[in-house]
Amino acid sequence: MIHVAEAGESRGRVVVHLCSSAANPVAIDAAVWLARAFQSEIESLYVENQQILELAKFPFAREISVTGKVRRSISSDDIEREFRFASATFHSQVEARARAADVPVHSRVVRDEPIRALGTVCAACGPWSAVALADPFTSPSCPPLGDLLDYVHDATGLLVVGPRASRTGGRVVIALEDAALLPAMLGAAERLAAVNDTEAVVCLVASDEMELMALDNATRLVLVDRPHIAISSAVLTYGAEAAAAEALRQLRPGLIVARFGGLLMRWEGNLAPLAASLECPLLLLR
Amino acid sequence: MFFKRGRDENTVVGRGGRPGNGAAPHVPAASHAALSVEALRRVVDAAALGFKTTSELEPISGLIGQDRALRAIEFGTNMKANDYNIFVLGPAASGKSTAARAFLTEKAASLPPPFDWVYAYNFENPNRPRALRIPSGRARMLEKGMVGAIDELRTVLPQTFEGEDYQTRRRSIESVFRSTQDEAFEALQRRAQAQNIAIMRTPTGFAMAPMHEGKVVKPEVFNGLPEDMRKGVEAKIEGLQKELEQILETVPKSDKQRRNRLADLNEEVANVAVIEALDDIKAGFADVPEVLAHLDATHKDLVRNVGSFLASNEEESQIVKQPIDTSRDPRFRRYMVNVVVSNGEGQAHAPIVEELNPNYPNLIGRIDHIAQMGTLMTDFLLIKPGALHRSNGGYLLIDARKLLMSPFAWEALKRALKAREIRIEQPSETAGIVSSQTLDPEPIPLDVKVVLTGDRELYYLLSQNDPDFQGLFKVQADFDDTIARSVENYRDYARVMASIVRSHGLKPIDAAGVALILEESARLAGDRERLSIEIGRISDIVREADYWAGKAGHTTILREDVARAIDEQTQRSDRLRDRAQESIDREIVFIDTSGVKVGQINALSVMQLGNFAFGRPSRITARVRMGQGRVTDIEREVNLGGPLHSKGVMILWGYLAGRFAQDVPMALAATLVFEQSYGGVDGDSASSTELYALLSALSEVPIKQCFAVTGSVNQWGEVQPIGGANDKIEGFFDVCRARGLTGEQGVMIPSANVQHLMLREDVVKAVREGKFAIHPVGHIDEGIEILTGIKAGERGSDGQYEPGTINHLVEEKMRQFAERARAFGRRGDDAGADRANGWDRVS
Repeated sequence: MIHVAEAGESRGRVVVHLCSSAANPVAIDAAVWLARAFQSEIESLYVENQQILELAKFPFAREISVTGKVRRSISSDDIEREFRFASATFHSQVEARARAADVPVHSRVVRDEPIRALGTVCAACGPWSAVALADPFTSPSCPPLGDLLDYVHDATGLLVVGPRASRTGGRVVIALEDAALLPAMLGAAERLAAVNDTEAVVCLVASDEMELMALDNATRLVLVDRPHIAISSAVLTYGAEAAAAEALRQLRPGLIVARFGGLLMRWEGNLAPLAASLECPLLLLR
Repeated sequence: MFFKRGRDENTVVGRGGRPGNGAAPHVPAASHAALSVEALRRVVDAAALGFKTTSELEPISGLIGQDRALRAIEFGTNMKANDYNIFVLGPAASGKSTAARAFLTEKAASLPPPFDWVYAYNFENPNRPRALRIPSGRARMLEKGMVGAIDELRTVLPQTFEGEDYQTRRRSIESVFRSTQDEAFEALQRRAQAQNIAIMRTPTGFAMAPMHEGKVVKPEVFNGLPEDMRKGVEAKIEGLQKELEQILETVPKSDKQRRNRLADLNEEVANVAVIEALDDIKAGFADVPEVLAHLDATHKDLVRNVGSFLASNEEESQIVKQPIDTSRDPRFRRYMVNVVVSNGEGQAHAPIVEELNPNYPNLIGRIDHIAQMGTLMTDFLLIKPGALHRSNGGYLLIDARKLLMSPFAWEALKRALKAREIRIEQPSETAGIVSSQTLDPEPIPLDVKVVLTGDRELYYLLSQNDPDFQGLFKVQADFDDTIARSVENYRDYARVMASIVRSHGLKPIDAAGVALILEESARLAGDRERLSIEIGRISDIVREADYWAGKAGHTTILREDVARAIDEQTQRSDRLRDRAQESIDREIVFIDTSGVKVGQINALSVMQLGNFAFGRPSRITARVRMGQGRVTDIEREVNLGGPLHSKGVMILWGYLAGRFAQDVPMALAATLVFEQSYGGVDGDSASSTELYALLSALSEVPIKQCFAVTGSVNQWGEVQPIGGANDKIEGFFDVCRARGLTGEQGVMIPSANVQHLMLREDVVKAVREGKFAIHPVGHIDEGIEILTGIKAGERGSDGQYEPGTINHLVEEKMRQFAERARAFGRRGDDAGADRANGWDRVS
């Protein structure tokens, strides 16, 4: 499951992916953090959305500025030019942060549909350890994250940030739903915590109290040889991801490591409720 | 007609008592008594001092015999006006600074400590730091209080703002605004999706296009649709675009409202913490309105800039790894205060500050700069106080010479005293040569009494040349160089020595030692009736005597130790005197100490080398001939003679003319010279000596070379007192002693100088043994009789001098010159031509 940690690989590759206008700097910082923790390289991938180029070919195509005050006709040339500027800005942001952390970085621009571009590049250049999404994948028009993982074979997980994400400083919280996953998640979390000179703690996530009790017992058995790892709190979701997200936020983490396809983030679920609360990046492990 | 260069030789050796040319025999002079031993040195009776050693005495400071100066200082310190500052004038090492300091210390002890002053950030005008006046001793309290308050806020504010209470309220505000927009946007997206319209994010905005199965329809496909369908899609897009514009247009306004709501929340939350943090300081300074006003301004600024406390310092997180000291954190510097004057640290009285290096910044204060990223930066915490700040409310002692030698300092001091405020400006600003922006701190009111110390020359120069000086320094405290010798002053002087002994941890001085120091003090004063109060030099003697006493194993400083100290001091300094003495001994410098010569005499001069002075004999010669009534002072002719020397020569010429040329023209030409003198000659102390040489030359009566002479003369022939009599006598004594004392040798001094005699003990001893003599002389007639052994002579009832006397011979020679000149003048115009050639005509 946890590809990098479990396999004990010393090197890997973290992809920072962007297909829209501006990258969230917290996503880039988190990607650099991951790369440092796993001695990985960073691949900065800017996707020129093919559909936008198609759109620009319509004679009635108009672009409305982010302020809503300007509406202008657009052409394919205009969009291509804007893609060039946007990709250059994105790559320079990633390169600056990666170099400051002494992490090797490669830049790539691909023209395709966003999700398919990931799959194509992954097939050509992968496998990747993790994919950091610099776009907020919270819009209703965004595809489900599960689709994205389908395209990215062998990647350990996805790093996502919500609109409120503002920090990467703080402890690494493992949102644990299955004690059997703890050793692998702990391995990844401890490596991440060591890089930022912080600690890894466990937060139990269960859907009800019975499940929580069982999870607690199982976790303590696993941690019997790791007394320095604390079970800091427990969250009962009762089926509501937003409530769990709010409980996790109150732990003020620098990064949350969670299982993709579990209680917090269902396989077919929407990222929006979780992203709306969290102030730090979320590493969703496959 | 012929020309002749005057008489070739008028020097006659060994002609005393035998006039030439068959004239009347010389009339011997009556004997003149030399001074008694008692007159040469006034000794101090150790037994009469009334103590055995100085350990029995109560020490006192150096203030003895300075009542006038002390009254002046007292007056100056009591005068409240800012222009009654004090100039203490007196010779160097007279202890005037010590005395003034001691007096002011006593005075200041009775005055309360003045206000403290701090500079604080001016929140309205940062370039003009505020000067806050704070009751004495409380400035440091404010400083610590501010650091403590900011420290507290550094802890409390992040906790408060990270607390759930604040976070919940904040999220509530954010969610209200965000959800409204998000929901509107999502609703629009859903409507668009329902109509198969895609809203896509472009690099710089949003765009819409028809879609099918989640993908944008290709234009060629779209163009293949019926026109009414295409029109319908375009209309939908147009409608959705308008809706999107409306949603987006609300974003800035909504954002502004959100920011305002958050700012209000932040202010509300921060306000509580700031009130709590500043509460103690406000309570502590409730009686100081200036501080309260500053704290109010600080409060507002803290609330406004609460973000500074929430953002981590880059330096703190990356380099130091721990919070840096609040007072050094650039984010919080504006909340600190800069204590420029604090009078509370163990000081319960008015300050006395002595500025030893009174340059501009040390006096007025300065504004330091620090280099940041290649730029010089400053702020109010870099304001450094000067001596005026530290002495404000008290007394400031400055050496006037050092002050005047420091560029800009004197003008700055005057400006501060006139304006009664300390305004810190860079000298370059004052001069108007720098226009870069810097701080302009509020001036601090000045109430200080400035006490300048300096010598008299400096005082008179300032009085004469600086129009502001007299207006600002109205009190002149003039310290005497000397005090009268009296039993009371002996006692006080001994107590000063006791004070020196105590302050330096020396051995006590026995009475005989004190007596010798008193005698040395009289020698330093150059006056047997007075004592020098050069406390610095007396202190040197006492400390060196202590050293020699230690070397000799004495537990008390004895007279012999004092004598050793004085001798050693002299020996250390007298290399030049030795060289001068050696030159005379080896007859490189010609000085006769025996025999007789016409027109030649030993004069005496004093060389001053720092604190050390010594006398040295010089030979003066005079030659005469017929001429136009002119004395040629060779020193003056070659610009080696000073004005006083020239004046003396003219006076003696006046004497000769008045006494011997009443009835005949002054047909005399004479030359006078200090032989083997290659430096300048000034002063009139040799004028009597020069006159004796002239009289000898005119009378052709030789002078005894065993004498040396000093004294000035007036036009009546009265011999007037001169300075350095002791050094001059001792100088000639040393030369004679080196050649062997004959008993005939001696020095002629003006009678008025007898009161100044404090000769060395070896000189006194030689006189006592009849090997040397000091002759007081009141008139030239007395002197010439001693020097020649021939009676000077008085005019008789017939108006003529007695034949065979000096004056008669002189008058005769003058008459001869006049007659020759008259005879020579009859020969016509030749004389004019002769004179033009530099020759005097002689028959």
